[in-house]
Amino acid sequence: MSVPAIAGKETQAPLPAGTRPLLLVEGLGKSFETPEGVVIAVDGVSFAVAKGELVSLIGPSGCGKSTVFNIIGGLTPASQGRVMVDGEAVSGPHAAIGMVFQEESTLPWRTVLDNVAFPLEIQGMRRSERLEIAMHFVKLVGLDGFERRYPSELSGGMRQRVSIARALGFRPKMLLMDEPFASLDEQTRLLLGDKVLQIQQELGQTILLITHNITEAVQLSDRILVMSYRPGRIMRVVEIALPRPRTSEIVSSDAFGRYVAEIWGDLREEASRGMRHDEIHALRDARA
Amino acid sequence: MAATSTIAGERQRSAPAFARRVLATRVAIAGGVLVLWEGLARSGLLFEGVVPKLAAIARGLAEMLATAAFYANLQTTAGEVATALAIGGAAGLLAGLLLGASRFLGRAFEPYLYYLGPTPKIIFFPIMIMWFGTGPGSKVAMGAVSCFFPVALGVAAGIRQIDQVLIRVGRSFRASAVQMALKIYLPAVREPVVNSIRLGLGVAIIGVLLAETKLSNRGLGFMVIDSYSRFDMPAMYALIIVIFVVAVALNAGLSRFARDRGRSQTVWTG
Amino acid sequence: MGERSNPFWRSPALVGIASLAIAFAAVEILIHIGAINRYIVPLPSQVLLASPRIIAEEDVLGRFLTTAGEAAAVGLLLAAIAIPLGVFLYRAQIICAAVESWVGALAAAPLVLIYPLFLVIFGRNALTIIAIGFAAGLAPVVLKTLEGLRATRPVLINMGRSFKLSRAQQFWKILLPSALPSIFTGMRLGLIFGLINVVGVEFLINFGGLGQLINDLAERYDLPAMYATIGFVILVSVLFFAGLERLERWLRPVQ
Repeated sequence: MSVPAIAGKETQAPLPAGTRPLLLVEGLGKSFETPEGVVIAVDGVSFAVAKGELVSLIGPSGCGKSTVFNIIGGLTPASQGRVMVDGEAVSGPHAAIGMVFQEESTLPWRTVLDNVAFPLEIQGMRRSERLEIAMHFVKLVGLDGFERRYPSELSGGMRQRVSIARALGFRPKMLLMDEPFASLDEQTRLLLGDKVLQIQQELGQTILLITHNITEAVQLSDRILVMSYRPGRIMRVVEIALPRPRTSEIVSSDAFGRYVAEIWGDLREEASRGMRHDEIHALRDARA
Repeated sequence: MAATSTIAGERQRSAPAFARRVLATRVAIAGGVLVLWEGLARSGLLFEGVVPKLAAIARGLAEMLATAAFYANLQTTAGEVATALAIGGAAGLLAGLLLGASRFLGRAFEPYLYYLGPTPKIIFFPIMIMWFGTGPGSKVAMGAVSCFFPVALGVAAGIRQIDQVLIRVGRSFRASAVQMALKIYLPAVREPVVNSIRLGLGVAIIGVLLAETKLSNRGLGFMVIDSYSRFDMPAMYALIIVIFVVAVALNAGLSRFARDRGRSQTVWTG
Repeated sequence: MGERSNPFWRSPALVGIASLAIAFAAVEILIHIGAINRYIVPLPSQVLLASPRIIAEEDVLGRFLTTAGEAAAVGLLLAAIAIPLGVFLYRAQIICAAVESWVGALAAAPLVLIYPLFLVIFGRNALTIIAIGFAAGLAPVVLKTLEGLRATRPVLINMGRSFKLSRAQQFWKILLPSALPSIFTGMRLGLIFGLINVVGVEFLINFGGLGQLINDLAERYDLPAMYATIGFVILVSVLFFAGLERLERWLRPVQ
């Protein structure tokens, strides 16, 4: 159930047989110029996501997964390779992709409802229509009753739910999320994970989730792509054969624990490499 | 930490080329202004002499800087400003410390300072004349009253903004009151205090100069109104240039002092 | 703070007002007993009594409107010119890098000193007064607008891009609302400098509203009325800025 990577080569992460990919990433590479020379953040990342799947991209901090997020979302150009969404090449923010960012991204001067209706307003939808649709998604994420409140009146977890509802309101073919629950505590995270599972179930939504949290990845995903530390490439693909529909109760099962252990086994050395790299960097900066 | 830059798209700008274009823009703008000025001076559009030719201004500047009278007046004004800043600044510092440290006192009295602040202090000038006479006393009083308010309000705000965590750290290590004041409070408020003094200096200069233009026979403000009454425009412009340069230099110097721990801060803080 | 059982000491506002009243009373007594020269400091009671008198005789209300009108004109000019200027500088990065420190210097310079010049150019009228007020308020508004726009959190801009906002939409729906608190701070500062300069120039050139009145009363040596007028000027600025705060809170209900 897990496909080991061939070290140093492009890794193909094969799809379940007989499915047509919604997202196709081929040979993605990204390098930056820094004062210390060229840094290769991402090198030869290839994978595909089928319709209705929830796929997680997991890796240690600094492995380039946020870079992949920005490239797929069209906010940053790739140095090499290409991204195809629903058959079209991505060269900028795409209408088929809805992004949920890691940081606070609700507009503080708008109510919850107006926040969720924001992308529809941009598209020029009539007011009554877009408020109705927005309300539907506000309910879907469990925030009905709060639609007239302002983000400053909500907790962090609730604000991220607003961001998710807003991205969903955009009716994207694929939801692209970058560590959306990183700033939340463990328990809130598990409960919001339940919410995401529920949404995926109801809408059949395709989701690509970028995360560093192993528990979260195993809890939510159909497949997990494990990334190495810089330069980031896909080391391994893990198929998660846990039953659907799922809830957070799954975290106490034996199978769950085995998956987590397996992935941590891959990640541990990469994460240590990352930590050592940071320490060396900090020393160098202090001496400079 | 990936060095991703996604802010408004990636733009690979080479620093030296940018700096060159900035310099070129500055030269162009400054040059354009000077050309327009000279054009206006020669055009006869405005009343004769209101906009003197650049050469006349330069001559006036050179002549003025050569006279002893200018330096005597400069000294007078500088002395008045320094005294005003010392008095108003010290009083403002004390008031700000009290209002910032005590929430009760702050809520009781700060609103008065807050609403008196925007009031133009020049209207108190007749009172100052009555209390302190027509000499330097009233000018110093004007400057002191002017700078008291921004200093007091700024210092009070600075004290309130001290990160409470720092105070808890000091107390957790059982620092004495003096140690707390010297090692925690003072370093923590250095930037807001210096910025308040910088603002205070600005308004003290304005207060003193305006008082001198209204009623005085000495000082730079007096020189301004004197040259105006003689319609010696080049001399007046020369004076204004000198005053502006000095005020801006002082301001920049203080702002660098406030900033010097490497934190980024715009030159002008409101 | 005050944990005493007496409820009066609990209220800072009351303490403030009480202190003021006590100070008034103290001054009154000190003048009566001759400790303070009554020809330098008039009796506070007389100052209060002078208020209705000056309203009736000196057309304080009319002058109040003149001064307020001039200040309002400065405000409108600042909003119409200085804010767009700040936006322009935000967009035009090279020009911004070139002139930003100059604008900062302008904010520090005693601009009001050039009032004799404006006198010659515009004449002894309201235009001079408004012009100086505007010149004094220009730099803070431009700088604060620039600062506010720059401080827009990058994630909000990225979010806008992810929803394919046009440049105009980015500006009106994300950049501007995000910068609004800073812009308001700038406008408040601009108006403070503007009002100070308006009344100041009224006083200096002896023309216009309340500033001129103070000048007149000083020359006539009518101390109680002069102090009373100063009180009115304070009232004008209090009302002006309280009103500004109201407006700010209405335009942006949540911080």
